[in-house]
Amino acid sequence: MFAWQNTPMTGLHLLGIIIGAIIVLLLVLITVMYEILAQRKFIGWIQRRIGPNRVGPWGLLQTAADVLKLLIKEDVIPAKADRAMFSIAPIIAFVPAFMVLALVPYTMNHVFTAGMNVGVLFYIALSSVSIIGFVLGGWASNNKYSLVGGMRSAAQMISYEIPMGMSILGVVMIAGSMNITTIVADQSHSQFGWYIIPQIIGFIVFLIAGIAELNWTPFDLPEAESELVAGYFTEYSGFRFAFYMLSEYVYLFAFAALATSLFLGGWNGPILPGWLWFAIKSALIVLLLFWVQATMPRMRGDQLMSFAWKVLIPVSLFNILLTGLLSLFV
Amino acid sequence: MFFGVPITGATIAFFVLALIIIASGVFLMSLQKVMHMALALGGVFLGVAGIFFLLGADFVAVVQIMIYAGAITILMVFALTLTQTGDDTEPSGHIVHKVVAFLVSAVIVVAVLLTVKATPWPVGQVGVQPFGPNVVAEIGKAMFHVYTIPFELVSLVLTVALVGAAVIARKEEE
Repeated sequence: MFAWQNTPMTGLHLLGIIIGAIIVLLLVLITVMYEILAQRKFIGWIQRRIGPNRVGPWGLLQTAADVLKLLIKEDVIPAKADRAMFSIAPIIAFVPAFMVLALVPYTMNHVFTAGMNVGVLFYIALSSVSIIGFVLGGWASNNKYSLVGGMRSAAQMISYEIPMGMSILGVVMIAGSMNITTIVADQSHSQFGWYIIPQIIGFIVFLIAGIAELNWTPFDLPEAESELVAGYFTEYSGFRFAFYMLSEYVYLFAFAALATSLFLGGWNGPILPGWLWFAIKSALIVLLLFWVQATMPRMRGDQLMSFAWKVLIPVSLFNILLTGLLSLFV
Repeated sequence: MFFGVPITGATIAFFVLALIIIASGVFLMSLQKVMHMALALGGVFLGVAGIFFLLGADFVAVVQIMIYAGAITILMVFALTLTQTGDDTEPSGHIVHKVVAFLVSAVIVVAVLLTVKATPWPVGQVGVQPFGPNVVAEIGKAMFHVYTIPFELVSLVLTVALVGAAVIARKEEE
C-alpha cells in the first residue's frame, strides 16, 4: 500500500496517502493546541499566575475557542498591501513546517515516517524555505514594522542555520547516517548510549541555534513586541494570522521531535511503549523552551549576529573535531 | 495506460512537478513585479528538486532546495525588500515586438520538438527507484576517496572568496 511509486496508481493508494496526511494533520493540530495551553499554564505558574482556566475544565478548551475565534474573524487585507503576496505568504510559511513532520519517527514501526537517506538535511533545507514566507509576509504588508521584522527573521534564521547544521554533523558522524530512523535505531545499541552523552557540546549548540531558528525568546527579535508591535505578522488577522502561529508551533514540535530523535534516543526507553517515550522526551524539550522563554530577556541585534558567528560556529567546529577524534580512537 | 505510459505514482508526480515548473516559468516571464518573479523562480527551483527526488538523487534534490529554493531565493527577496520602492511595472512593448517575439519562439519550439522526436534516446533497462539505496554514501566515498584533491582545492577557493568578500566589505565600511 505504501509502495506507490512504481505500481499503477489506484484509488486505494490515493486514499492511503490522503488518510495518512489527515491523521498527521490531526495529530499536529491537537499537539499544537495543547502546546499553546501548556505554554500559557507553565509560564503562568512560573510567574505565579493562574493562566487560562475558564473554557472547559482546567482551561483545556481555551485554545480551541481561540482558534474558532480566529477562523470566524473577518479576513482583512490592508489597502496598500500586495494582495496576492499577502494571501500566499502564510501558506508558504506553513507548508514546509508540515512537510518536515514526514521525517519524525514517532514509534518503532514507521507507518508515517519517510525513511529518507538525507532526512537531517531535508529538515534544514525545508525550514529554510519557510523563511521566504516570513520575509514575504513582512514585505507584502507594506508596513515598516512588518518589513523590519521580516528582514530580521531572514538574517537571524539564515545565520543560525549554519551552527545548527554543524551541530547535527557530530551526530551524523557518530551514527554514520543522515537517516533519522537509522540514527534513532543506532542509539539503542550504541556503545555511547544516547547521543546526548558523546555529543553534549553539539546538543547545547543545537538547542541554542534551534531556539534562534524558532524565533523564540531570547532570540525573538523578529517579533519583538516592545519595538515592532508583532514583527512580520503585524498586519495579519483572522485565519492568516492563525497560519503563522500554527507554523511557529508546528516548528516548535518538529524541533522537539528532531532533538529527541537525534540526541535523546527517540522512542528508545525501558518498560513504557516507544510512542510514550517519544512523547515524554519531546514534551520535556518543549517545556525546557517554555522555561527559557519565561526566564531570559531578549538579546540585542548586534549581540545576536556576533554570538552566532563568533561563539556558536567555532564551538560547533570544535565539536566536529572532537567527534572525529572520538570516532578515530574509540 | 495513458499514451503508452503506465500511470504509476511516479508518473503522476512527474506530471504534477512538470506542471509546477512550467507554470512557475511562465509566471516568471509574465509577472510584472520583480518580487513576484523572485517567488516564481523559487517555484521553479522547488519543482526541479522534486524531479531530482523522482530520479533517485535525494542528496542533489535536498541541496537544490537548500541552496536554490532556500538561500538564493531568500537572497533575492532580501535584496529586493531593501532596494525596491514603489511601482516597478513597465509599459508593455510595441505590437510589432510582440509579433516578432512570438514568431521567433514558435520557430524555436518547433525546431526543438522536431529534434527531440528525431533523436533516438537510449532507454535504461533498470527502473529508477525513488528513495532507493543510499546515494549519500556513494557521494561521500567519491568526494573523500576518489576526488579528495579537487574537493580540497575547491574548499580552498571558497575560503579565499569568503575572506576576500569580508575584506572588501570592511574596506567599504571605513
